[in-house]
Amino acid sequence: MSSSSQFKQLEKLGNGTYATVYKGLNKTTGVYVALKEVKLDSEEGTPSTAIREISLMKELKHENIVRLYDVIHTENKLTLVFEFMDNDLKKYMDSRTVGNTPRGLELNLVKYFQWQLLQGLAFCHESKILHRDLKPQNLLINKKGQLKLGDFGLARAFGIPVNTFSSEVVTLWYRAPDVLMGSRTYSTSIDIWSCGCILAEMITGKPLFPGTNDEEQLKLIFDIMGTPNESLWPGVTKLPKYNPNIQQRTPRDLRQVLQPHTKEPLDGNLMDFLHGLLQLNPDMRLSAKQALHHPWFAEYYHHTP
Amino acid sequence: MTDIQTDEKGASNPATSSAAEKEKETPSTSPAEKNKPPNYKRISDDDIYRHSSQYRMWSYTREQLQEKRIDTNARAVAYIEENLLKFREAHDLAEEEMKVLEAKAIPLTMEEELNLVNFYAKKVQVIAQHLNLPTEVVATSISFFRRFFLENSVMQIDPKSIVHTTIFLACKSENYFISVDSFAQKAKSNRESILKFEFKLLESLKFSLLNHHPYKPLHGFFLDIQNILYGKVDLNYMGQIYDRCKKRISGALLSDVVYFYTPPQITLAALLIEDEALVTRYLEMKFPNVEGIQEPEAKNMTKEAQNDTSKTEKDKKQNTKDEKSSIDAVKLLAVIRECKDLIEEPNPLSTEDAKRIAAKNYYCQNPSSLVQKLKRKMNEDTSTAEKRQKI
Repeated sequence: MSSSSQFKQLEKLGNGTYATVYKGLNKTTGVYVALKEVKLDSEEGTPSTAIREISLMKELKHENIVRLYDVIHTENKLTLVFEFMDNDLKKYMDSRTVGNTPRGLELNLVKYFQWQLLQGLAFCHESKILHRDLKPQNLLINKKGQLKLGDFGLARAFGIPVNTFSSEVVTLWYRAPDVLMGSRTYSTSIDIWSCGCILAEMITGKPLFPGTNDEEQLKLIFDIMGTPNESLWPGVTKLPKYNPNIQQRTPRDLRQVLQPHTKEPLDGNLMDFLHGLLQLNPDMRLSAKQALHHPWFAEYYHHTP
Repeated sequence: MTDIQTDEKGASNPATSSAAEKEKETPSTSPAEKNKPPNYKRISDDDIYRHSSQYRMWSYTREQLQEKRIDTNARAVAYIEENLLKFREAHDLAEEEMKVLEAKAIPLTMEEELNLVNFYAKKVQVIAQHLNLPTEVVATSISFFRRFFLENSVMQIDPKSIVHTTIFLACKSENYFISVDSFAQKAKSNRESILKFEFKLLESLKFSLLNHHPYKPLHGFFLDIQNILYGKVDLNYMGQIYDRCKKRISGALLSDVVYFYTPPQITLAALLIEDEALVTRYLEMKFPNVEGIQEPEAKNMTKEAQNDTSKTEKDKKQNTKDEKSSIDAVKLLAVIRECKDLIEEPNPLSTEDAKRIAAKNYYCQNPSSLVQKLKRKMNEDTSTAEKRQKI
């Protein structure tokens, strides 16, 4: 148990879902940390979002998941002491924009980040925990090129059955079509969709489906991935927010959509992999574990002992 | 430690392992499946449990648990005795008063503490059930409450004062939303007293809040039993057994089995209490290569004998590494029987006994009340004596 005097509070790093995050210095060890400060609202005691995040982070010890070191209590606030990371993927990609033209990352870096993202996610899913809010802002990176999943404020544990979750999760751009159409039986596949969106964004430097509302979000998805129907996705027409009058679209060639935005050629393996993540039908999406075994990653798993 | 780890081995949930096999059997055309890296290994539910904070921080051997309780009690006793000494030194006490203190201001023993905690744990269960909370929330309330008193003594914090705190925190951590005010109203408590020790509770729980209870394995085992013994079990009967097992499990959560055994082991023990024949038959069908688990020897096996079999089983295991048989059914059944015996151990503490311990707990913390009580009594005696003289 540490005390708050042990840490020197430095600059503000940003706002999480329910708290403010500062950079901090552990005065005893000289190690930087991220201090997530949660205001203690005297009305309800410790906020349940904080309880939930602490509860899940205690179970998730993995090199691709940001570590929760400690929890400190002072009079009117709770401070979660996390492992410090230099940057997040959003800021990192933004920093590479030249003028007004976003630039994607080099493909070998994209692959390394995606591999780590899926390693962390596979561990969450095996531990029966959904992240539910994967987006570049929540993927923390450091100078060593490590990537870790952060901000589990919206995450939750799942068991069987998983049909009572609210559909109001995941930042719009990375939200799966089944969730957008009001499915309440979603599971690990919602995080996989987000991974697909993030992968495309790393390649081109700009978000794949930047919708401003639910309707537009679905339209953007269908414009590229095609409009789903009962034969491709049994049950889709029964979803609460399914719109039978939506304009029918045929799928576009994803490679043609992405290739103009990157100099490096996008090969068949990569495109097959991306398609595996961005399946409209959630049952058809790869699992995190399967994704890690995709040939696109062959160079990684052939080298792991 | 080794005890728990070998116990663990037996705990892998057959329901999930059969699901995993099915997954393997399904011919998959996905390229990802064909290109499995050489180090491919599926993480079992057992592995997850072993990594859980519940296993890492709240599972003990019998000796470790005993030690922990002795330690918590000893720390509180030292504190109480120091206070009593200070009290005696600070007050000019009469001989009578000293006598009362010596007789009544005595710290609780470890056993008394344990009895009182168990008495209140039952109260937590009754209140949480009365509030119509979901089964898992009730179970988490109980485990929070009991873990709190592994770290703290009832002589430091009155168990009564954190009953509602634990239930309310369990609601939050199990994602069962209820506002503190409506909770307070339903529980006939108030916001201040519910929240007063919330952080103390969080801290004592070492922020390990995610719980694994035996109810989920119960669901899994029932699906698997119906699958394995398909056509051989009556579904209505199974429904009744399910409900009865659920009650057994709720009872087991009030005992120390939660510290010694894994949730699936506790589930199987509950099943064993309800229908021993069903469980043995199920396990025999599940592990057909293990013979004679119903033999009486298995039941009365000594610790050494168990270790012997586990050794030979281990040798066997190395030969048939990837086969179903890696679960040692004989050892598993022996472990479950041990667990069952502990669940069935009676744990009675009458309300009178609880009151007596609670009173003792009060006096050892408040010696002045004993002295005052004595003074009042003496005054009454003298006044009645005076009255008598007048008559």
